[in-house]
Amino acid sequence: MTTIATTTTAPPRARKLVGAGRRQWIGLLYVAPAVALVMVFFVIPLGMTAWMSLHNWPLMGEHSFIGLDNYVAILRDTRFWNALKFTGYYTVIVTIAIFAIAFPLAIFIEKPRPLTNLYRTFFFMPAVVGFASASLLWSWLLNVDSGLFSPAAYDLGLIDKKFNLLATFQPAFWSIIAMVVWKVAGFTMIILMTGLQSIPQDLQEAAVIDGAGPFARFRAITLPLMRRTLALALILSVAGSILAFDQFYIILRGGPRNQTLTAVYWIFNQSFVSFKLGYGAALSMVLLVILVALSLIQLWLLRKPEGLD
Amino acid sequence: MRNLIAKLALATAVLGSGLGAAAADTANIWVRADGSNFMPRIVDAFNKAHKDQIKLDIIPNAEIIPKYGAAAAGGTAPDALSLDLIYTPSFAAAGQLEDITDWAKSLPYFASLSPAHVKTGTYKDHIYGLPFSADASVLIWNKKLFKQAGLDPEKGPTNWAEIAADAEKVNALGGNIKGFYFSGNCGGCNIFTFTPLIWASGGDILSEDGSKATLDSPQLRGAIDLYRSMVKKDLVPAGAQTDTGANFFAAFAAGNIGISPSGAFAIGALNTQYPNVDYGVTFLPGKDGGWSSFAGGDNFVVTKGTKKLAVVKEFLDFAYSLEGQTILAKYGSLPVRGDIAKDALKDLDPRYQIAAEAMAKGKTPYSVVFNDLINSANGPWTQMVNEVFFGDDVDGAIANAQETMQSIIDQAPQK
Repeated sequence: MTTIATTTTAPPRARKLVGAGRRQWIGLLYVAPAVALVMVFFVIPLGMTAWMSLHNWPLMGEHSFIGLDNYVAILRDTRFWNALKFTGYYTVIVTIAIFAIAFPLAIFIEKPRPLTNLYRTFFFMPAVVGFASASLLWSWLLNVDSGLFSPAAYDLGLIDKKFNLLATFQPAFWSIIAMVVWKVAGFTMIILMTGLQSIPQDLQEAAVIDGAGPFARFRAITLPLMRRTLALALILSVAGSILAFDQFYIILRGGPRNQTLTAVYWIFNQSFVSFKLGYGAALSMVLLVILVALSLIQLWLLRKPEGLD
Repeated sequence: MRNLIAKLALATAVLGSGLGAAAADTANIWVRADGSNFMPRIVDAFNKAHKDQIKLDIIPNAEIIPKYGAAAAGGTAPDALSLDLIYTPSFAAAGQLEDITDWAKSLPYFASLSPAHVKTGTYKDHIYGLPFSADASVLIWNKKLFKQAGLDPEKGPTNWAEIAADAEKVNALGGNIKGFYFSGNCGGCNIFTFTPLIWASGGDILSEDGSKATLDSPQLRGAIDLYRSMVKKDLVPAGAQTDTGANFFAAFAAGNIGISPSGAFAIGALNTQYPNVDYGVTFLPGKDGGWSSFAGGDNFVVTKGTKKLAVVKEFLDFAYSLEGQTILAKYGSLPVRGDIAKDALKDLDPRYQIAAEAMAKGKTPYSVVFNDLINSANGPWTQMVNEVFFGDDVDGAIANAQETMQSIIDQAPQK
């Protein structure tokens, strides 16, 4: 290598190398702000969380190093595992519900036709509302006495006693699902729509000529070519649902009777209600590992099949 | 020469006044939003009358503890804090507070200070918190609805049977009118207004020193049955089941509720914001009479190592004066000095006297994990009250709460 390096010192080449080196440095400079942001807001806090998770770290008072004790305690924390189970259940249901609504919507608005832009805007609009604001809005709509649904049904004579939707598990859970689908489906729809639009039109036309019906075209062309888009939408939906907190905190407070405690809610509870910051950090690390593993599995399942291009 | 002397004198005077100004000190104190009515008034009165000054920050109820913890860790905690009294033991246990035992005991009126506050302010025989604001639990009833229902509007219920009977009669008025209200998903509200029913009947939910959960008492079961029977008879609005406390006061204030356990704060709030609601105030009764009350409110605690201790003491002295106690009483807190409570309340609504009397005998459970046990929206107490009032498995819910509470107590930092 050295020999080659020393023999290739002709002026034009040297200039080229210098140019490439400089470009590399300039490139690094360009990304430096982004790298700094990632360091400051992700890598360093992550390191600190990992460090905290090895400590008995109360909100107030001295903290002390306790090794893996927090992680051992997690093994016995039935409420965390219950919360995790509920989070998984919620994630499966809400993800299916979002796709069940978003995919037909995406197909509906994909092709330009009269009023398409209006529909797109209309369906997408809830996505621009923050989760906390949307939760507050829905908690008002769902309020048994002063909200919209129950009093309206009562006033119209549809029910003879006001029904508290949030008082028992099933109606409360499905109210949350409805709210999240209302809020998120529009966003997923836009992602899926871009995927649909990227499928070459001539493939579809060729299939039509070959006599393929709409279902066959969907199965053989649309779905395989949407794999990457579906993977993106799926990972976003699953990650978002695993981290669900706002709606359960604002609308239900984990109720009725702690049946809707999510994993993040439990982390919040341990950190900021019980003030066990070290334990909360350990729980966060466990959730992070689960989330990364789930995302990797999804990417692997939805990787591009061999030979398709 | 005379000129020079005059100049020197002037310089000395300027210097002197400058030194005087420098000697005036400002202490920073925090209060939770519950104190946003009375706290600014008493701070203003203090600042007007004193050279030393208080700078006040009002922090949302739910944020004050985490915020204080973060500030303490970062070395930016306020000099003192008006703190929900139930937190005092855990703050003291964390080594966060200044030991003010000597000063507290030197106060000539120390023995007259609210005993429940002083008890929660004491940790391992040292005093870390002194009473600041106070709230007792009482029963309020709507006189207009009582009259319409054919009841004596001047006589509130004095035992459980009367509560149920009066609520049923008011409920019979129909429409939007309901007999009884309580926040069915709020641990804090129910420790404040439900446990006095148990205490007044001779039961308790925690042992005196906070080391044992005692949810298996028959008095608790009896009080639960009272609430359950009212829920079953539809005397309670459907919204009560999910009310996390947001409607604790508002439901009664809207004028459609016959009877509601509440706090002394309701007297000031009704008088100023809902003058059209005609209401009576009485004690929270036991099963067969008698009464009890929760002693709520704030303890005043001092951050360990503050350099403004002198100002803080000066402020607390002022708050304990007749003038300070009168300002507090006028704007929503009961007096915390028993010896001058009557004087502080003399120009106010006579219904405050009931609350003040309740306060004097008020009780506050003592625990370093009170928040985990009782106040947390996801704690065992909140979960239990919701299940036993509205659910199907009362015995299971009580047993589950008893077990969870005991395990939280057992895992708590040793006292």
